[in-house]
Formats: sequence, C-alpha cells, structure tokens
Amino acid sequence: MDINLRHRIRARLLKAAQMVTLFIAMSIICIPGLWVVLNSFRPTVEIMAKPPVWIPNELNLDHYRAMFGGVGQGGVPVLQYFTNSLIISITSTLIAILVGMAGGYAFARYRFKGKGAIFIGLMLTRAVPGVALSLPLFIVMARTGLIDTHIGLIIVYVAMNVPFTIWLIDGFFRQVPRELAEAAEIDGCTRWQAFWKVEFPVARAGVASAGIFAFLTSWNEYALASQLTRSTFSKTMPVGLRDFTSEFTINWGGMCALAVLMIIPALILTFLVQKHLIAGLTFGGVKG
Amino acid sequence: MSRLKLPQWFVLLLPAIIILSAVVLIPLLLSLYSSFTPYRLTRPETLYKWIGTFNYEKAITNANFWAAFGRTVLLLTIALNVEMLLGLGLALLVNRVTWGQRGLRTLMMFPMMFSPVLVGFQFKFIFNDNVGLVNNALQSLGFSDVAIPWLVDANLAMFSIIFAEVWTSTSVFAILILAGLFAIPRDPLEAAKVDGCTPWQTFRHITLPYLMPFIYIALAIRSLDVARAYDIVQIMTNGGPARRTELIWTMIGRTGYVDAKMGYANAMGYISIFLAIFFTIYFFKKLNAARTELGMGG
Amino acid sequence: MRLSVQMALKGATAGAALFAALPVSAGEFDGITLQAKLIGGQQYEALYARIAEWEADTGATVEVISKKNHFELDKEFKSDLAAGTLGWCVGSNHSSFASQYPSLYTDLTPYLTPEFIAEYVPSNVAASKIGDALVMLPRAQFDVSALYYLKSLYEDEGNQSAFKAEYGYDLAPPDTWDQYKDQAIFFTDAPNFYGTQYAGKDEAIVGRFYEMVIAEGGQLFNDDWSPAFNSDAGKRALSWFVDLYKAGAVPPGTTSYLWDDLGQGFASGTIALNLDWPGWAGFFNGEDSSKAAGDVGVIVQPQGSAGIRTGWSGHHGFSVTESCDHKDAAASLVAFLTNEDSQKLESSAGPLPTRTAVWDHVVEQSSSDPYRSEVLVAFQQAATHAFPAPQTPYWIEATNVIFPELQAAILGDKTVDEALETAAEAVDEMMQENGVY
Repeated sequence: MDINLRHRIRARLLKAAQMVTLFIAMSIICIPGLWVVLNSFRPTVEIMAKPPVWIPNELNLDHYRAMFGGVGQGGVPVLQYFTNSLIISITSTLIAILVGMAGGYAFARYRFKGKGAIFIGLMLTRAVPGVALSLPLFIVMARTGLIDTHIGLIIVYVAMNVPFTIWLIDGFFRQVPRELAEAAEIDGCTRWQAFWKVEFPVARAGVASAGIFAFLTSWNEYALASQLTRSTFSKTMPVGLRDFTSEFTINWGGMCALAVLMIIPALILTFLVQKHLIAGLTFGGVKG
Repeated sequence: MSRLKLPQWFVLLLPAIIILSAVVLIPLLLSLYSSFTPYRLTRPETLYKWIGTFNYEKAITNANFWAAFGRTVLLLTIALNVEMLLGLGLALLVNRVTWGQRGLRTLMMFPMMFSPVLVGFQFKFIFNDNVGLVNNALQSLGFSDVAIPWLVDANLAMFSIIFAEVWTSTSVFAILILAGLFAIPRDPLEAAKVDGCTPWQTFRHITLPYLMPFIYIALAIRSLDVARAYDIVQIMTNGGPARRTELIWTMIGRTGYVDAKMGYANAMGYISIFLAIFFTIYFFKKLNAARTELGMGG
Repeated sequence: MRLSVQMALKGATAGAALFAALPVSAGEFDGITLQAKLIGGQQYEALYARIAEWEADTGATVEVISKKNHFELDKEFKSDLAAGTLGWCVGSNHSSFASQYPSLYTDLTPYLTPEFIAEYVPSNVAASKIGDALVMLPRAQFDVSALYYLKSLYEDEGNQSAFKAEYGYDLAPPDTWDQYKDQAIFFTDAPNFYGTQYAGKDEAIVGRFYEMVIAEGGQLFNDDWSPAFNSDAGKRALSWFVDLYKAGAVPPGTTSYLWDDLGQGFASGTIALNLDWPGWAGFFNGEDSSKAAGDVGVIVQPQGSAGIRTGWSGHHGFSVTESCDHKDAAASLVAFLTNEDSQKLESSAGPLPTRTAVWDHVVEQSSSDPYRSEVLVAFQQAATHAFPAPQTPYWIEATNVIFPELQAAILGDKTVDEALETAAEAVDEMMQENGVY
C-alpha cells in the first residue's frame, strides 16, 4: 500500500516534470514565431519600442490592408506571389516524391554493383554550396530560356529535394520486411501490385514526411529563387519578402504580414499531411 | 523482344540521375573550370584565361579563409549536436503525450515554416541590443541593466547565430526521430517491461538502437543542408563585426557576387565541398553500421 | 491623353528644346518593345504607372522583365554580364554601383540636347558620368544624409545649463563633428538612451568613414587609386568612431547595424542624434511609426576639422544598355521617367529631386507644413555639400576589404593605426591584383 502510493506519487511527479519541460520547450519554439505573427498586427511604433510595450495597445489590420492596397500605398502583388509559390512548391514536391520513391525502392530492394558509391554520389549533390551552383545554373537556365519561369524553379527544387527523399524513403522501405511483399507475390499479385498494396501503405509515413520536407524546402527557399526569378511572373513569396526592404529602409511590420500569409498554408498542409505519419505506427509492429 | 533490357534498379534510378546531372553536375563542372580562371563577372572575357591553381593557392595561404573554415566546422559541430539532442528530447516528450498530439506535432514543426530570410531578420531584431526583444525582456524583468551586444561580442554573436540556426532546424530532427519512434516494434518494448527493465535500460538498449538510423539520416541531411544557414548569417551579421562570425559561405558569397570574383569564390567553394563530403560520408558509414546491427543492411 | 502630356511638358520647360530631347510624336516608336529591369519596392513603384502614358504617346511597349531591390538587381546585372543575356534595354541604376559595370550602359549624351541635360542639378549629372559618358539619367531619388535630432533635448533648460557648465559652450544642434561627439556623450544614459549611433558594417561604415575622411581634409584614394586613407586625416576620422564607441555613447551593437536598424533605433525615441537619409523623414515623424514623432528636428550635417561638411551621396537613375537595339526609344523612355512631371510626382511622396526646377517646386509646395519644409531646407543645404562615392569599378570590393578593419578598431581588437595600416595594405594589394596600377 505504502509502496504503491509512493510509486504513484513518483509517477505523477515525473509526469508533471515532463509536462513542464514540454511546455517550456514548446514556448521557446513558438515565441519567436508568434512574435512575428503579433508584429503583423501592431503599428510599427509599438514593435521595437523602448521602454517595451508588452501588452499591445492597439491591434489592427493596417499592414495587411497596405499589402493588398494599390501601387504606391505599400501594395505588393501578394496573390501573384502566392500562386507562384503554390504552383512551384506543389509540383516540385510531387515530382520529387515520385522520383524519390522510385530511387528509394531501388536502393532498398535491389542488390547491384556500386550501390554504395551511387548512393553517396547522389547524396553529395546536395552538399554543393548554393553559391558554387547559382551562377552556372543561371547561365544554363538563361541559355535554355528557363529564367523567370515556373518550370525552371520546379526543376531546380526537384533536384534539391530528390537526394533526401530517396534517402528517407529508402530508410522506410528497409523497415518493411521483404517477406511481406514476397507473400503478396505468392498470393498472385504482380510486383507492381504488391508494391502499391503492401509496401507503399507501410512506407507511407516515410513518404509523408519526405513530402513535408520537400514542400517546406521549396516553399521557403530563397537563395536560388532570388537568382532565377525576376518578375511577378515567377517570383515566390520568400523573394517577395524582399519587396519590403529597400536601400535604406525596411517595413518590418509589412514583412511580418506577408510572412504570416506564407506560414498559414504551410501550417495547414503540415497539419493535414502529418496524420499519415501515424500509419507507420500501426504497421510498425509487423517487424518484431 | 530483342530490345535492350536495362536492369530494373537502373530504370528506377534513372529519373533521379538525369535530373541531378542536369541541375547539379553540369553547373558544377562549369564552376570547377572557372575556379582555374581569374573569372570576374563584370568582365566575361576573363573566363577564357587559364591561371592554373592560382586561386587555390591564394585561398590556402589566406589566414582569413582558414579562420572562417575553422569557424564553420565549429558551428556545424555545435549546431548539429545540439539540434540532435534537443530533437531527440523533444520527440520523446511529444511521443509520451496521448492527448492533442496531432496539434503538438504541428506546433513542433512551426519553425520549419519560416523562410531563412525571415529568420535572419527576425533574430536580427530579436537580438538587437537597443530595442530588441531579448534585451527588453531582460531589462524589464530586472535581470540586466546593460544593453548586451548580442550580435557584436565574439562569443555571443556565435551563440546568437547558433541559436537562430538551432531554432529553425531542431524540428527536422524531432520530426524524423518521432517518425522513427512510431516505427519501433511494440513487442521488444513489452518484453522489456515484463523482464523488469528500467525505463533508462529500455531506452538505452531497445529504443536508441532502433532510432540510430533515423538520427544518422537526420544528421546527414542536416549536414548537407546546413549551408542554408547562409541566408540567416548573411542578414544577421554578414560575417562581422571584424570577421568574428565570418563563415566560409558568407566569405564565398561576398567574394563571388559583391566583389564579382567568381573564379576565386568557386575555388574556395570547392575546398569547402570537401568539408561537406567528409561529414556526409562519416554519417553514411554510421548509418550503415546502425542498420547492419538491426539486420536491415543491404 | 497625349495632348495633356505635351502641354505639361511645354509648361514645364517653355521651349522647343525639350522636344528635340524627347521626341514624343505619335507612333514614333510604333511596334517597338523595350525590355526593362527596374528597381522594385514601395517607394519606387508610383513612378512606373507613368510608363503607360509614354507607351500611349510613342506606340512603343515596355515590358518590365525584372523588379528587384537594388542589391539583388546588382547581382542580376553581374550575372547577365557573365551569361551574356543582355537583350534588354532599360535598367535601373545607382550612382554608387554604376562604375562597376562600365561596359554595360551606353552614353546618353547623343540622344539628348544639352539644354535638357542642363535642367538636372549639375552635381547629380556629374555623379552620373563614368569619365565623360553620361551613363544614367537621375530620377527623383537623391540621397544625402542630414542630421536628425530630438528637439526636446535642446529645449530642456536643465540640459542647457548642465551642458554649458561641462563643456563651456551653449547647447545647440551641432555644427561640427566635435560638438556632435560632445553632445552624444552628454546625452547618453545607457542602456535606456544613447547619444547617437552609426552604421557599422558593409559598404555603409566605409561610406561613413569616407565622408569623415573628406571632412577632415583627407582623401580615401590618391589619383592613381592607391589608398590614401592611412593618413592623419584618416586617423582622425576613424578615431571619431572609436571614441564614441569607447565612451559608450552608441549602442554596443552599433557595429552590427545597417540602415534598417538605425531607422528603427531613432524611431524608438532612444537616440538623440542621428545622421540619416531623407527616406526616413516621414517615418520618423509619423504617429504610428515613430515614438519621436513631433519631436524631430532636421539640420544640415556637421563639418569636420577641415571646415568641410560630410556629404557622401548617391542617387538612383535609369540607364540604357549598349546592346539595346532601339537606343533612341530607350533614351526617350529614360528621359520621360526623369522629366519634370515624373520628378514632381515622385518627390511629392518625399524623395529628393535631382532637377533644379523641381527642387523649387517641392519647397514651395511644402510651405504649409513646417516639418516638411524644415526637412527640405536641411536637405537642400545638405545637397550642396554632396559628393559621390569614389568612382572606381573596385569601390564595392574595396569596401569589403576595409570594413572588417574599421570594425576591429572600433571594437578595440586593433589600434586605429594598425587597422588603417592593414586596410591600406589590403586595398593596395587588391588594386594591384586588378591591374589598376
């Protein structure tokens, strides 16, 4: 009885400590971000004030109104940037996932000569610093007429994302026991059917997380986009953030407002897609 | 049916190989060539002048370059380790939560929604010594009555950059490790419970080995990707003040585009690629070892 | 539509000379398409609405193929030169960047009449040239720094008597950089209030150092572009920055500041004296953007010990590429975008004009607004002391070599002598490597 009670108290305390730690960790994660969100609703005078204004005196939509306003009133072609970002990120993510699934499957399920070397080779393409790449890439794109087009950026982002989608998906396919697919084939499925019916659902968690990563990378990429886009025809939102800076001035409140518009869709998508991670949970038991 | 039959694995890999050659390999060869020329962007004709290894010699004998190189290795090492540990801790904590986990997972990934440009400005203002959030908070709460120069003091400036970098990237580790936690089979865990293992023993001998491949994947992905920190550092300090936070990437970026000396910048770029290759191969080897241990090698 | 533009033009210049410069006859450039790369950003956009008028007048079409901020645009121009993608005609330019791409833009003199060119402020025209070639026409985006200060500090009687007792002269907005230093130290109450602040990195700190060297009677470069700043004037100039930092009269983070941090700092009401650009004038006095609103005074920038005022300046402009197929049409567009009406439109929002007649116009327009006219009078005076950045293709590269050394001196890593010595050697080496001498 006594031991039982002590045990229970200890478990409670442990649980409470965990909760507190989690709360602090989440605060550190969220506060710098929420600060940006809050700034988008505050007049500039309160954002970087001294003495600081901790409790906002006034919250309004002025920065948003200005952003959607006309030329000369602080207007920025938000909708155009948004559409560009959406088209480029979604298309490149889908392609990167397909290419990555094919590649990841090849590495996880086939034995062939030079496998390790090819794998490392593919991975190392990601190790090239953007600076070493951006100018030659610009020249190649300029010569092929792909500058300032959606396709140009999509191709680049697919290439950026393929190495690690392969890697990630490879890792998840490895977790799927080979016997599972073999059993399906014995049951009369083709390899193709076996893949979609048996292996894909199991590795879905991997595909989902690879998808999230690829999407967020493309959605937020700045360095190459700023080099390969020029006009509103293809500029993405991260490049659009720079519209709020000029030679000597910055409109930080306005920048925050655009940032919020960038964050919301990413957050929604993440929330929707990440439920597939759970699929890994149910099937994970198969292995043991 | 006499057509050439390529092995299936090759067909599966072909799209990846084609796209990576087009976007990475060809430009890379171009820039490799240009690193042997005095190539200056504003004078295109300089691309056709061969100067051998002059640029490499210049980089190798430049003390500032090696200082930046060392600082980059330091930043990589600290940032990756801290991110890994924090990510692991966060994943374990979130994994224990039974109610509202979906929302928590999304929140956990919140920093990943922030574009590096934005993160740069954000932390530049947060760490501003006069009107920044951190100093304002410290002064309001009475912890400090001086303006702490976060972005100027040699140690604090590195700390601020690492903080911004860790803030954006810990989520990557956390989410991958969490995915790994989901994939752990239940049976060994239950068996351990029955055998009376302490939570620590269970973690050390069952959970961790299963997580290692995921941790190494995350480490390798991040070590490849960490050059993205360039955007953040460029806006926060641009390598300054007095080169206290100069990294290879800020140095290359400035030399290549601002000074327009692309040949020299590419030479420095190639030297820095070896750094990335070293880290990647190291983690790759570790990954394979961890996989073999779990019987998933191949 | 066309008629009204012509009327306006005629009214503005009262002469046929303009029509030789601006060949606006209907359909003159029918069917021509000009590609343009323009600086983007809120304060630059209003002018572009006028492009439609020019299109209607001439029959030509303008296709804006790139809109970026200046640093990104600079990167793009360099990439274009490298890739040979120079099919476009009109580009935004900046006097501090122009000398980096001497081969990119054509001389506009043949396409304009001397009378038309004479309508711009002569010093702006001079700063728009590389050698004798007029490579850009200045738009109403002229930048020179004047002194912003908090008026209430100077009106406070306690401050006045305390200052007089300590320094032996009356407290008034500073006319010399030495007074400025005294007052900055006097007003400082760290960490809540600082006397001043300065841009501490990149080209910005070198520009500030450059103008201070001039004000101290020195030069940054000799005539052959070898470094000249390791001199007594150079040492005095750098010491000014070092002394303020050592005295704690600037925020300790000032070496990480760029223009945006400076603007936010002064607007927070915690900085007494701020040498800054005209673009902030409205922001500093805006109720919802600045705590200093209503308390902002503006006067001409102080002078150095040589009796010369600082005045590092720059301006935006438009250029026509050497590779353009329709240079006459492009020149007509560029002239249109910088003509009197265009400059009136642009300067009505705050930026400083580069045409003499427009200066008079904006000063007259603002007579009912005391703050605005104070700003304009100060900047009009400031402009008379303005001088451009050193016009060498290697200016930006030189700033990248110099600024870490200036920072090292300010932060105390090196002495002033050591820092200038190292910087001068590095610049010397850089110039020689580039074959300048």
